[in-house]
Amino acid sequence: MPPVQRVIGVRVAGCVARRPVAFSQMRFSSNTPPTQGSDEAPGPKAGESSLARTESASEGMAKHQPNYHAALDFRTSTFSPVPKHVMDGSESDVSVPAAVTSGAPIDLQARTVRIYQQAKNAMQSGAWHGNHWLMDWDVLSKGHRWENPLIGWQSTADVMQGERMEFKSKEDAINFANKQGYEYFVQEPNERRFIPKAYANNFMYSPKKLKIVRTK
Amino acid sequence: MINPTYLAQRTRTSASWADAKSRVIKSYRDWLRAAPEIQSMYTMNMPVPRIRTKIRQEFEKNRMVKHLPTVDVLITHSHTEFQETMNFWKQLNHVMKYFRTEEEPTARLPPNFITGFLEGRN
Repeated sequence: MPPVQRVIGVRVAGCVARRPVAFSQMRFSSNTPPTQGSDEAPGPKAGESSLARTESASEGMAKHQPNYHAALDFRTSTFSPVPKHVMDGSESDVSVPAAVTSGAPIDLQARTVRIYQQAKNAMQSGAWHGNHWLMDWDVLSKGHRWENPLIGWQSTADVMQGERMEFKSKEDAINFANKQGYEYFVQEPNERRFIPKAYANNFMYSPKKLKIVRTK
Repeated sequence: MINPTYLAQRTRTSASWADAKSRVIKSYRDWLRAAPEIQSMYTMNMPVPRIRTKIRQEFEKNRMVKHLPTVDVLITHSHTEFQETMNFWKQLNHVMKYFRTEEEPTARLPPNFITGFLEGRN
């Protein structure tokens, strides 16, 4: 239990957070967003990192360490992952600290959440699943799945293993993850690249010698 | 004339931080004053100061909240828990949930990486 820092009843206006660093989350996209109207392939370019970090290396080192003295609740168990930061309401970049009042287990703030769009089925041309964003919980390192010793059924200690939330937009999902104190990362969808083609271009006149002769 | 249930609180929001502070302290004092009664009511095998420490811990957990409507919700939670406890609507296991981290040796986080690794917590 961290020591009490102030006398009861004294409240400093604009009090600083208890921890020396501000509220932290893993905020990076797994892919750089595709530029509009570009003929290049989507995804990271040569020499460009696919992780767009918004903090320096030392800041990241300080913020992303697991906090072994974080708050516990009555659901903490041997399967609980160690959180990096447990929301306590003092964060200034969160509009509503919902994790404080929701009554959800602290373990959920320790687990990483993936925000993504479902990929279009390559076998079909329907793309409706790409119109909403999903939130998925990463697999627990321990207690994810084991075989029931009696019958052999698949057992799990993971409460969120079948849980998937749907959002209309990426920002909605990010705001929700921020409110609930989840560690999250956004997986940008793979934009389909379409090269416009015209058959007439095979017969276009060129004053110079053609590099590729498309007609014989 | 319909009387409200004993210890029911009228729903209200705090007008200001000072109002919220006085409500929090009033609720805290109610809890502290009720600690011996909780011990006898639920026949708990722990001294009254330990219950008072736990009450203090629960209030301290939310000390840093900067958002006033969240504080209102937390005060409402405090009143709800108080009513449920003092009206004997709970049972011993519901009250002992607050003491799980002390009573249950497995309900804890590892103190450092190596201990967690050796325990196999990955």
